[in-house]
Amino acid sequence: MSVNIPVTNKISPFLVFYLIHTMQVGVGMLGFQRIIATYAGTDGWISVLLTGVILHILMWMMYKMLAIVDGDIVTVHNYIIGKKATKIVCIPIILYFCLFAISVLRTYIEIIQVWMFQELETFWFALIYLLLVIYIIYGGFRTIVGIAFFSIVLPIYILVLFLFTVPFADFSNLLPIFDHSIGDILKGSRNMTFTVLGFESILLFYPFIKNPKKSHKYAHLAILFTTIVYLYICILTFSYFSENQLQKNTWPTLTMWKIIRLPFVERFEYIGIASWFLLILPIIAISIWGTSRIIKQVYSIRQRRSVLVISLLCLIGICIPTTRSEINMVTDLTAKIGFYFCYIYVPILFVATLIKKKVKKS
Amino acid sequence: MKSIETILIMAIFTLFLSGCVEKEILDDINLIDGIGFDYVDGKKIRGTIVFPIFIKDKPPENRVLTGESLLKKEILQDIQLQAADPIVTGSMEVVLFSKELATKSGITELMDPFQRDPGVGSGIYLAVVEGETKELFEGKYGVRGNSTHISDIIDENIRNEDLPKTNLQIFLADFYSEGKSPFMPIIKKKSKDVVELTGVSFFNKGKLVETISSDKMFFFKLLVDKYSEGLHRVKIEEGEAAIRSIRSVHHYKLIKKNPMEVEVTIDVQGIINEFNGDKMYPNLERKLNKQFEKEINQECLALVKNFQEKNIDPIGFGHFVKTQIRGFDYKKWHESLYKDLVVKVKSNVEVTEAGVIQ
Repeated sequence: MSVNIPVTNKISPFLVFYLIHTMQVGVGMLGFQRIIATYAGTDGWISVLLTGVILHILMWMMYKMLAIVDGDIVTVHNYIIGKKATKIVCIPIILYFCLFAISVLRTYIEIIQVWMFQELETFWFALIYLLLVIYIIYGGFRTIVGIAFFSIVLPIYILVLFLFTVPFADFSNLLPIFDHSIGDILKGSRNMTFTVLGFESILLFYPFIKNPKKSHKYAHLAILFTTIVYLYICILTFSYFSENQLQKNTWPTLTMWKIIRLPFVERFEYIGIASWFLLILPIIAISIWGTSRIIKQVYSIRQRRSVLVISLLCLIGICIPTTRSEINMVTDLTAKIGFYFCYIYVPILFVATLIKKKVKKS
Repeated sequence: MKSIETILIMAIFTLFLSGCVEKEILDDINLIDGIGFDYVDGKKIRGTIVFPIFIKDKPPENRVLTGESLLKKEILQDIQLQAADPIVTGSMEVVLFSKELATKSGITELMDPFQRDPGVGSGIYLAVVEGETKELFEGKYGVRGNSTHISDIIDENIRNEDLPKTNLQIFLADFYSEGKSPFMPIIKKKSKDVVELTGVSFFNKGKLVETISSDKMFFFKLLVDKYSEGLHRVKIEEGEAAIRSIRSVHHYKLIKKNPMEVEVTIDVQGIINEFNGDKMYPNLERKLNKQFEKEINQECLALVKNFQEKNIDPIGFGHFVKTQIRGFDYKKWHESLYKDLVVKVKSNVEVTEAGVIQ
């Protein structure tokens, strides 16, 4: 059953930390505060913590499940329902990862169009971006991991720059704590899905980890780190904006950068948005690579070819939505599918794997 | 071989991509750093923009252009007809509103483009002008251009003097907050080359409803800013002293809920800058402290009373009470609770040093 990957293609366990964290932190980070505040208000930071806890549980489930079958999501399906059924069941998963790449890249292009260059052509930018992504994927999985590593290490200074908002922040905005019902806080947590999606990519690259059992703690560390980063930004946002003002801003994180003024640069957003180029690069790369990997396993099509086709599909997908509301629809759809995939389908798979294991033993 | 091909293809596309967006060269644009709005009649407003023109070895000259219109962007269009280069808002420093405009038609609609435009920073200063903004911009102040000079004045007064912290972000946060009303500094053209900060103006739903003069600003700052500095003159029998508060902290406390009662404690630590009496002695210092405390209590309370009468809340009592009570209802607050709120001010002044002479 298990998948054989040559040792030279495998990665060290600690790199899982970078992979999972990089997949989670993307364009969602630029605007998630408003979305969680619509329900949970300034108690939104509790939603962030709650999401963190749920993610830990899901991550534990996925590791358990993958350890049993010793493979990736295709192996899991093969294990439970057999090879033939897998061929059909995997289609939605392939589409989901494509959609994920599309919504991330389209949102990023939209941000460039709104904040920097109104005239930027979606098609040309997406084309160049995807060519770069294809180039990275052709370098092999280890190259992708390298990009993931740098996409975290290089822009990490941005976290410090958020402190520029502190002189204008009123931390009493966060009071009173628990002003909203548990239901509202849960809704806020649910609204945060798009922001934290990406951790499920472990289902794709698990077989590529050398000594996967050792990597388990790094995966949890990654989720912990993501939660801390989001919590930090959330608390600063809620104290910087008043509640109604926050609702007016589509990308609160970017609006917060407007206050930053350094002697050598008048507007920091330009540097920040440019840094995001690097930040989302591994997200797109891993999504497309993962999709092609599933296709290879299920339908035995060479990855080099399928990557091209998937990229083309993504390019078309990126060019279709043009207005804010259309783009919002795409991200909402991704969030919804992601929510059902991670929060409902994955636990079902987990339970099914456990049952199957029991059945096989007896 | 393959990788070389990829690199080549990518290089070619980079060439295409650089042609995709419009270039903006610094010398070929009008980088406006100030904009002002004046009242014309019920419908129309007049906009004035100012941008510096840099000349070698000389301070920058101010170029002033005006246009009349209904919308801010239309004003820019109108002005564009008079300008040789495109007008760009990327390095805005100040936005001014004439007092007439702020009182009569309000500024709500004018605020929208400054939030919507990604090029405008959140740290710019807003101010109300006594008189016309056009006239103010036509003067010549400082060596770094008019707008920079005005923003420097406001900046300096926030950092070391009596003006509470303010900028576009703080104004907007208060503007949208249900428990706080926004304020702006007031400036005035004193002569051809002097601009002066004359006080603070208060807004209710985008309209200017109340102003205070600069001598009351010290007390307002004590109430609004958590930590503040400033200078105040205290008069006693033996003479007059200028006390600079070097560190002051305020604390709010909700002591009763029905009817609501808020206690404000203000701790001021100051030094004596100037004293025109005969001699300083410890007893005198205590006397100064007492007198200063009395004045703080009186003036602060008077400010609060005035705000309550005018139904504005620039100090943010609504916001404060909300942080203390779960399930707080702003509707009720605005209807009656704020008017009936009892505020008590307590202050502790401690003059620590009296300079280098006795």
